[in-house]
Amino acid sequence: MLNVGVIIKLEPDFSEGNVSYNSDGTLNRAETKNILGPHSAIACNAAFYCKVKYGARISIGTMGPPIAESALKQAQVLTDAEELNLYSDRLFAGADTLATAEVLKNGVEKMFGADKMDIVFSGHRASDGETGQTGPQTAWKLGYTFLGNVMDFDIDLDRKVIVAKRLISLQGMDTIIEEIECPLPVFITIDPSYKSAFSTVSQRLGANKYSKQGRKKSENYAQFLKTYDSQKLDLDPKLVGLPGSPTIVYRVERIPRAKTNRKTAIIDPSNPDNLTPVVTKIIEIARGK
Amino acid sequence: MKMSNSINQEIGTRRDEKYRHIYVVIEHFEGQVVPVSLEMLGEARRLMDDFNQKYQLREKVVAVLLGSDVRKLCDELVTYGADAVIYANHDELKYPRNDIDTRVIVQIAMDAKITKEIEPEYAGTFVKPRYMFFAADNIGRHLSSTVLADLESGLASDINKLVISDLDIRHEHKTKGQTVRYEKILEMYRPDFSGFLWTTILCLDNKNPEIQREYHPQGCSIIPGAFKPIDKDDSRDGTVVEYSPKIDQEPKIKIIKRSVIEKTIDYETCKIVVSMGRGIKDNPEQNIKLIEEFAELLGAEIGITLPLSKKPYQVSQSMDSKYMSPDRVIGTSGSKISPTLYVAIGLSGAVQHIAGMKESEIVISINIDENSPIVDESDIFIKGRMEDVIPKLVEKIKDQMQAISVRST
Amino acid sequence: MEQFDVAIVGGGSAGLSALKKLSDLNKSAILIEAGDKIGTKNVSGGILYSKNDPTGRIFNVEDVFGEDFESSAPIERLIKKYYLHATSGNKIFTMDLTPLHEYKTNFGFSVLLNRLNPWFAERASESAEKQGGGIITGVHVSDIQWIENKTIVRTNELEDFQVKSIIAADGINSEVAEITSARSKFNPEEVYFGVKVIIKLPEKIIEERFHLDSSEGSAHLLAGDITLNHVGGGFLYTNRETLSLGAVYHYNSLLSNPVAPAQLVDELIKNPLVSEYIKDEVPTRGENDDLSKEDQLKVQLSVSKLIKTYNDLRYKYFSKNNGGLIESGRFNNTEEIKSRIDSIKQDLTEKYGTKFVNNYVELEYSAKLIPDGKRCVMKRPYYNNVLFIGDAAGRGIFIGPKIEGINVGIDDAVRASIAVSRSIEKNNFDSDYLGNYFQSMINESPYTRQMIKIDEGYLSLFLDLVKDISFSSANPGFEFGLRMMKNKRFRETALRLANILGYKRILPIIESERAYVKVPMQLADKLGKVVTSSYTPEIPALSERIAKLQYNDDTEPHITVNDKRSEFMKKLILLCPTKCYSLEGKDVMLQHEGCVECGTCSIGTRWRHPKGEKGIRYRYG
Repeated sequence: MLNVGVIIKLEPDFSEGNVSYNSDGTLNRAETKNILGPHSAIACNAAFYCKVKYGARISIGTMGPPIAESALKQAQVLTDAEELNLYSDRLFAGADTLATAEVLKNGVEKMFGADKMDIVFSGHRASDGETGQTGPQTAWKLGYTFLGNVMDFDIDLDRKVIVAKRLISLQGMDTIIEEIECPLPVFITIDPSYKSAFSTVSQRLGANKYSKQGRKKSENYAQFLKTYDSQKLDLDPKLVGLPGSPTIVYRVERIPRAKTNRKTAIIDPSNPDNLTPVVTKIIEIARGK
Repeated sequence: MKMSNSINQEIGTRRDEKYRHIYVVIEHFEGQVVPVSLEMLGEARRLMDDFNQKYQLREKVVAVLLGSDVRKLCDELVTYGADAVIYANHDELKYPRNDIDTRVIVQIAMDAKITKEIEPEYAGTFVKPRYMFFAADNIGRHLSSTVLADLESGLASDINKLVISDLDIRHEHKTKGQTVRYEKILEMYRPDFSGFLWTTILCLDNKNPEIQREYHPQGCSIIPGAFKPIDKDDSRDGTVVEYSPKIDQEPKIKIIKRSVIEKTIDYETCKIVVSMGRGIKDNPEQNIKLIEEFAELLGAEIGITLPLSKKPYQVSQSMDSKYMSPDRVIGTSGSKISPTLYVAIGLSGAVQHIAGMKESEIVISINIDENSPIVDESDIFIKGRMEDVIPKLVEKIKDQMQAISVRST
Repeated sequence: MEQFDVAIVGGGSAGLSALKKLSDLNKSAILIEAGDKIGTKNVSGGILYSKNDPTGRIFNVEDVFGEDFESSAPIERLIKKYYLHATSGNKIFTMDLTPLHEYKTNFGFSVLLNRLNPWFAERASESAEKQGGGIITGVHVSDIQWIENKTIVRTNELEDFQVKSIIAADGINSEVAEITSARSKFNPEEVYFGVKVIIKLPEKIIEERFHLDSSEGSAHLLAGDITLNHVGGGFLYTNRETLSLGAVYHYNSLLSNPVAPAQLVDELIKNPLVSEYIKDEVPTRGENDDLSKEDQLKVQLSVSKLIKTYNDLRYKYFSKNNGGLIESGRFNNTEEIKSRIDSIKQDLTEKYGTKFVNNYVELEYSAKLIPDGKRCVMKRPYYNNVLFIGDAAGRGIFIGPKIEGINVGIDDAVRASIAVSRSIEKNNFDSDYLGNYFQSMINESPYTRQMIKIDEGYLSLFLDLVKDISFSSANPGFEFGLRMMKNKRFRETALRLANILGYKRILPIIESERAYVKVPMQLADKLGKVVTSSYTPEIPALSERIAKLQYNDDTEPHITVNDKRSEFMKKLILLCPTKCYSLEGKDVMLQHEGCVECGTCSIGTRWRHPKGEKGIRYRYG
């Protein structure tokens, strides 16, 4: 049996009409609804694919306050997960990525009664600030091979090997699709372009079955939910939350907008001579100086 | 926990001697250094020059380069600001792979011996880099995470401003509520998701005796295009050192195939972007052709406003598939760009659009409506129909360019 | 290769009914739908009927989906009143034709297919899954091949699979029909073209304005100058909290007098009767010139959120049980909701310069071809082991104001299911056995009869209804004919004669500009009342309508123009409802991204549905 884990995150819903800001420009968290992050949802889709295609069982984990349960519930709808894990403790508050990864590492190690995991998925990044370090750091702490930007994958169950396509795009360079092979266990962050590619009618019917099952299960998601605090996760309090975070947020400020106060020169093009200085300027820039 | 033991053994060593230099992890692709690497070197150079002057020290900008045949790139890194380049050549390092690259970079970062060749006088005291820079792209973002996870230190991602300073910090955990002076701290500025707020992140040692711990290097990943490289200087000197990586286990990731896909439009590296909006409506096909000619002349990339991506006008199939596509949208729902010159043609400047182009250095707009919001966002506003203005500009540009080339021959 | 007994191609009302019925007959079937979700490719004018007929059995929606259909399905309103409005300028003459609506009718509900079909799908897949079948969405059947007694279905998305029989329910632009060459493409003579907008209006305002009881609705037909001189007319149906406003015209009539389809809807909207019906108070964003640029985006998002909250609350406030706002504990009573709405309104007005003006709110623009069964019904609705049902078989009822399609498709589906089920039991899928049997069952349907012969009872009823109108004052020419028709004896003889002549010969007389345009205008002019509108609706441009539609863009066009210089394609520049065609030099060029897959251009093109999940995604339908 393939054991698949998914690390997810509850995030503010940034879509227009749902998001609300305070007058100082910060996010108004009270007025903005929280949802399962869109990248987390894509990671869930990848796990669901493993369930339909390889009969995997799925365990979902998230670190957060008790309200993060709602993200676990939404994730169960998408994955028909067997297990939901909430890692919640006041001590975790204020954690940076390293301290978060510490919690998630122990969380993953406890999935399915501390059974060995084969694949753990997480989102590409979160939309509210976390920029994609948590996944790779958790992977490293777990000792799982980390694969980023995975767009497509296939698992050889006998050899316990994954073949995956990864997207690599670097500034100013051609985009590369890299096909790699790697023994399990792996920790994967799923590229936003990922789409589950069910290839037969039977797989599609299977997907229907499991997704219906997932919807049904999620109605009683509490039955599947396990809540862990730092003790249950065997965590050293010095390594989690603020004490375990190398970094702190020192300051939050508005980004000054010097350039917005442009002095506009209005030019009447009916006299072509007026355009001459403009053209000089354009050419100057075009020629690189 | 091996590492903290070794730190304890160094008691008596001055901190300035334990943690030294900015290590910049270089990326390259098909024999070329990725631009962000040179941008990072440039910023590291500027920071280090100020740093050395302020603290009367001689720390270095050290470029770290992995690959299978990368010696040839080392000199270029020196001309762009590196004092030293540590490179590792190995067949297994030909393409970036997170698992093996992390191990090798950690080895290099922890290797005091190699620093002997960079500055012999501190070789015995060096423990780890003081600062470490990575690119915030889909190689560096992951690599920075795993390297810093292994080095058990702090990382700030997607940074676009850096300052080194001494700070008085009072923090519940870090200093147990006491005010403590921290020296040579890297203030790492990260723009938030909305692009309106800056969060400054610091990587600080725990000076609270109950949780005492040192966190170095202070690591960050840097947004491509955020900094400027220094002017290439062929006369610069630098030490180039080869490092022999210890690859004791076979890398788990095997690369089976790499295929190049068609390059998508890349506004980040464009100096000039010409954008069009609904003002093309009177004669869309003809107006796009005009804009095309204008852009080509300047070597500019073409952008569009969001409404155009919804294809409100009839244009030929080829024009349509080339330009009326969501990848070209400049604005909150598309690319946010900061070219040297932005030319806004026939667009009114909806807030969503302005959010995507306001970082441009110089903005020229062409529009018939002098009350449209784009006017306030422009340095130069040409009031007129694009059908009239662009041909005049094109003609003048051609004339002037010709004049320049005649002069220079 | 995977094997299945039955593949149903197309997840519209007919295909879903077939899946449900087959499954209830304990047969395993899979339904393949190209849209990413059921309902996203479906459009209807808007009324689903349940019918009875003394001449034969009709299989109705409640027979297939359960007697609890009326109480459980997401239907809009039970249509109780049926009016015909003759228009001329601002003069309207209204006739109550409710008895025509009630004729042979158990019930008629206004429906939105993007709500109804997913419900059908839920019921159908529940039954299908018990038999090992189910619904597969986002998959486009691209080919069917018969190799050595095997029927192989090929799709763009999945591996090929084998089936024993196929039910083709892939709509008026049936690709299965083309693949099998079971019938030729419909020509403009055989079809009607429909264009529709969904208009948002709060539930209680609809009830008050149309004088309706809760859950009840009315249907309004329009003819006269609003047709812009075409054969056909307009309709306005009340849904629960929307209105379906549209127009249906004989395609031939549009070809001979081309006009942009959107204009046909605009013409309706501009009619004072209609504009008063659709009127609502609409918040309109103000300008924020005094704000710094960097605050504008934030303000805009905040205003969006406020307007959204305002609209949500207001629509709920005007809904049954206040949309559950009190039940859920969010508010204690109606007054509290009202005062919250008022305070948001005040905030929007005073802080953000939002204005509240009379206008109307359009939600979705759509278009569809409708088979005129009396002209295009498939004489032999099968090929090999493939059975055609509903629109795919050209089966629809189109007689004057009577337009029925969904109920016909459901009836067909049951008949096809019974035929296929019988074949599975006998393991005989020969066309002699399966196809012939299906044909005989189809021929027994009262709907089939209505596609071939004039329903004398219906026509008599119509004549009875209009007999008291003093036509003479409108047009003395009618006087004689009508007096004759009032005579029962004469009427019977005339109808018999007409049926002997057949639809083909008499249609040009009945379906004429005179009947749809001139007479109604004369009636309105002479007998109509003046109606005035209190505002001028701001009608969105076509580009705005298209921008509101959701698409999943396919980079490759699904349509290829056969002859870029044909006269027909030149007319499509105007007739394509989303202006996908333009003239480039002498060639008509396609820009497929805005395509709503109506098939109006089908006859002049190689026309395929987009690949799975691609193309238009209607939200109301």
